[in-house]
Amino acid sequence: MPLRIFFLAEAAVKDPYETLGVERGASPDDIQKAYRRLAKKLHPDLNPGNKKAEERFKEVSAAYGLLSDADKRAKFDRGEIDASGAEQPQQRFYKDFASEAAAGNPYENYSGFADFADSDNILSELLRRSAHVRARGADVRYHLPIEFLEAVTGETKRLTLPDGETLDVAIPAGIQNGQVLRLRGKGRPGIGDGEPGDALVEIAIKPHPFFAREGNDVHLDLPVTLSEAVLGARITVPTPTGAVTMTVPKGSNTGTVLRLRGKGILRRDGSHGDELVRLKVMLPERSDPELEAFATKWESGKAYDPRRDMKP
Amino acid sequence: MMISKQEFLVRAQLERETLEAWIQEEWLIPGKSTGELTFSDADIARAQLIRDLRSDLGVNDEGVGVILNLVDQVHGLRRVLTEVLRSVRSRA
Repeated sequence: MPLRIFFLAEAAVKDPYETLGVERGASPDDIQKAYRRLAKKLHPDLNPGNKKAEERFKEVSAAYGLLSDADKRAKFDRGEIDASGAEQPQQRFYKDFASEAAAGNPYENYSGFADFADSDNILSELLRRSAHVRARGADVRYHLPIEFLEAVTGETKRLTLPDGETLDVAIPAGIQNGQVLRLRGKGRPGIGDGEPGDALVEIAIKPHPFFAREGNDVHLDLPVTLSEAVLGARITVPTPTGAVTMTVPKGSNTGTVLRLRGKGILRRDGSHGDELVRLKVMLPERSDPELEAFATKWESGKAYDPRRDMKP
Repeated sequence: MMISKQEFLVRAQLERETLEAWIQEEWLIPGKSTGELTFSDADIARAQLIRDLRSDLGVNDEGVGVILNLVDQVHGLRRVLTEVLRSVRSRA
């Protein structure tokens, strides 16, 4: 019994300077710095499982409570009060409440482990049985390459997941490259009665051999013959939704852009972009004697200099 | 035990504006009952933690949000660890 009393007394008179690790003559500023340094390490809410840290923090707070008050500090230095006079009332820390598994705690946050709880069968099974724990399942990301024309017209694609399950992805017409489709509830199952996560499907549109896309307009370089360009013609032009007939005006040239209204890609508001057809005049693939004969005697053609603007 | 906003301000020693800012930041998430905000003892302790972080530990406002988020995650982990241990023990 005497032994215990001895211990209690010893604890009560622990020197506050020693507790904070400062000299007797330390300035208030040094005392505050020492307290902050220790509090950062020992604050019970930052060490929720460490009883020793909590005990130490209480000692440190008590010591600081005594030494940060000039009046009390002076009395202590003169020996008029001892360190036990600075005992603080019992404080309940936040951790004490957070560990009481109160249902519907708004601060609950399971993002620290939701991923491995999903992927580990034993853990997820254990969690499923526990009534307290509920967390939303994790989102899963997929990458889905689609054809250019599938992006234009829309399409339902079937994804086969690593576990053999399949997932039907409805791709809306007019989807953009890099757009992410969110399939609600198609991610990992939730924990407890938590709702499942989402599947996030990122769309990658493969390039097309001759169509290019800019926003909701489709660009097409269209080869035309010399005579179609010079004399004008009605020609057939491919669009993403099928071929249409278009008039090439007389006197068209390489670089002439013709607009097919509404033949582009569906916009969100329900209207369509345009197809922009850029003409490219093509000479015959093999040399043509008739054309050569014409070019030789074509005087006015020789006077035309298409490079006049490039002259230094 | 839920208390009113008025009582919370007194017991947590907070100014009304400070409380509103903290709710705005979602550092505190009070309950709602018949249109009035309600607070728990846990909210009082949490307000004390926020005050400790800002005054004693010299954490700035950005840091407070980060720390609270991590503290909440630690408690989530502790809760789950408790459940897992209980499950394991009940099977053993």
